[in-house]
Amino acid sequence: MEQFFQQLFNGLAVGGIYALVALGYTMVYGVLKLINFAHGDLFTIGSYLGLTMLVSWNLSGLLPPFLGMLVVFVMVSLFVALIGWALERAAYRPLRNASRLSAVVSALGASIFFENAIMLVYGARVYVYPDFLRPDFVLNIFGVAIPAMRIIVITVTVALMFGLWGFIQRTKMGAAIRAVALDQGAARLMGINVDRVISLVFLIGPALGGAAGLLIGVYYGQIDFTMGWNYGLKAFTAAILGGIGNIPGAMLGGFLLGVTEAFAAAYIAVAWKDAVAFLALILILIIRPTGILGERTADKL
Amino acid sequence: MKKIQIFLFCIVVCIFASAARADDIKIGLMCPLTGKWASEGADMKNIVSLLVDETNAKGGIDGRKVELVIEDDAGEPRSAALAAQKLASAGVVAVIGTYGSAVTEAAQNILDEAGIVQIGTGSTSVRLTEKGLPLFFRTSPRDDAQGQAAADLIEAGQYKKVALLHDNSSYSKGLAEETGKNLDKKNIQVVFFDALTPGERDYTATLTKLKTVDPDLVFYTGYYPETGMLLRQKKEMGWAVPMMGGDAANHQDLVKIAGPGAAAGYFFISPPLPQDMDSPEAKGFLEAFKGKFGQPPVSIWAVMAGDAYKALESALAAGADNPEKIASWLKKQTATPSLSGPLGFNEKGDRIGDFYRVYTVDDQGRFSLNK
Repeated sequence: MEQFFQQLFNGLAVGGIYALVALGYTMVYGVLKLINFAHGDLFTIGSYLGLTMLVSWNLSGLLPPFLGMLVVFVMVSLFVALIGWALERAAYRPLRNASRLSAVVSALGASIFFENAIMLVYGARVYVYPDFLRPDFVLNIFGVAIPAMRIIVITVTVALMFGLWGFIQRTKMGAAIRAVALDQGAARLMGINVDRVISLVFLIGPALGGAAGLLIGVYYGQIDFTMGWNYGLKAFTAAILGGIGNIPGAMLGGFLLGVTEAFAAAYIAVAWKDAVAFLALILILIIRPTGILGERTADKL
Repeated sequence: MKKIQIFLFCIVVCIFASAARADDIKIGLMCPLTGKWASEGADMKNIVSLLVDETNAKGGIDGRKVELVIEDDAGEPRSAALAAQKLASAGVVAVIGTYGSAVTEAAQNILDEAGIVQIGTGSTSVRLTEKGLPLFFRTSPRDDAQGQAAADLIEAGQYKKVALLHDNSSYSKGLAEETGKNLDKKNIQVVFFDALTPGERDYTATLTKLKTVDPDLVFYTGYYPETGMLLRQKKEMGWAVPMMGGDAANHQDLVKIAGPGAAAGYFFISPPLPQDMDSPEAKGFLEAFKGKFGQPPVSIWAVMAGDAYKALESALAAGADNPEKIASWLKKQTATPSLSGPLGFNEKGDRIGDFYRVYTVDDQGRFSLNK
């Protein structure tokens, strides 16, 4: 039983990160019907930028620890958002009216470009975040060890997701995003600036991805230039699992994928963890082809 | 008339130019300059280029310059096959490389069919030399030798319940299996045998599972990035079980990833570190390397590319000027000088001699050699 809860918690922590990255996929897909393969690499850029700010610019040394982290968090999100915006301008907007396949190829190209650019700028060796940033306090609840940092990661993740959801559902700008997701032509006729809405989506998604990258860096320490691919793949899976184009679906999918993996590792075999997770994905897609919360494929956000 | 003269002149120049080039000895180097092992590849390139420069500065081998042809294999089999084909068409007599058994394996047959000597450097999987390829050698030891050494160490440490964890790569799985076989012979219980997925960040699910079988030693046979994460998260869980590793853990970044506190007490078996090599060749080489690149090589595997070059240089200097002669000359050697110590090869092309050491990470996070 102790193992059950420990694994449940392990799974939730991993799933939270998947969910946060999955939001970026799902938002872009919802609006453009495009899978932004470069999203995983924007996530990697977030973790590298965070490290640069913390170590080279010494932001954590100049400001009090909590405020320092907050400033870094905001700055990383902003920088990565700008990169995402530029990416849309350079790689996706010119192909807006081309066939969908061209945009997907462009996305793959952007992913390869970013990955190699990171390698050329930072080098191929793994980088490690400084240790002192991490509270190494461990809660112990009925024999289940819960590091404080994991609680922070989960809290930040959930807060960001609810913030985003509220933004999409409650604000005027959110309504515009939903309108563009439903029908670009009609939205334009209603006086919505579609290009601006798409740019906004490419600011928000990458900002969340960059934030996730920073969280990974601070918590797990080790970052390398290929890690975006791994997380991107898992997050993409999570987005499909929950119903791509659907924000609560991405959250649910992420947590579900993380927990499934943890339980597969615990009760089947560690080596079979991914196979079991993907089997679950296939089963769910057979029963509900649009994913758990997806209704008509990606008509709504 | 003038045109014909220019034309003839060009032809003559071309002939001389190509004659001068043909006089160079071409040696190929395959290494992962991009991809996940790019840091190993960069060192392999640096080390071999440095040694080639030294040779050429001395006037080459019997007056012939050595030309190094470098191809990137990106640490993956498909690119390795391509790199091998490029090297074969570049007309090299021998190829040094590469890192990773599966990657080396992808190049083996291509180079063998082209009649080129290949010396693997970080390729320890047993089957590479069991195929009977006459021109294949390696300067790294084999997994079964390491499995034996690992089992002996576990026995000496009086561990009774051992958990074996690998990462499903042919190297890591091979080492785990060989160790398991040898532990069975010694009647030491293997309580856990499974594989994790390399490249992930969170191994707490794996560790939680390991904890339920309560081993008194965890032997993870994979590479340093995952080892570092395992150590770090093991400490975070508050689990104090000792952990050991194989030679793929031998990389300075291990301690950086784990943090010195979590890495302290971790031990691994490995060929000696570059800075622990005590031959005069090694000392001179390390000085030169540090002088040029500012720090010693990060791991032993890149140094083994240097060993491979040293062996080739000796073979060429001894008058072996084609691949068959080089191969038969190498197989006769028992102690030709190389960076990591005297080097010899057996009939299969495997490195002979035992050179495993045990390293423990101390409190400051340094790899200290167990005497």
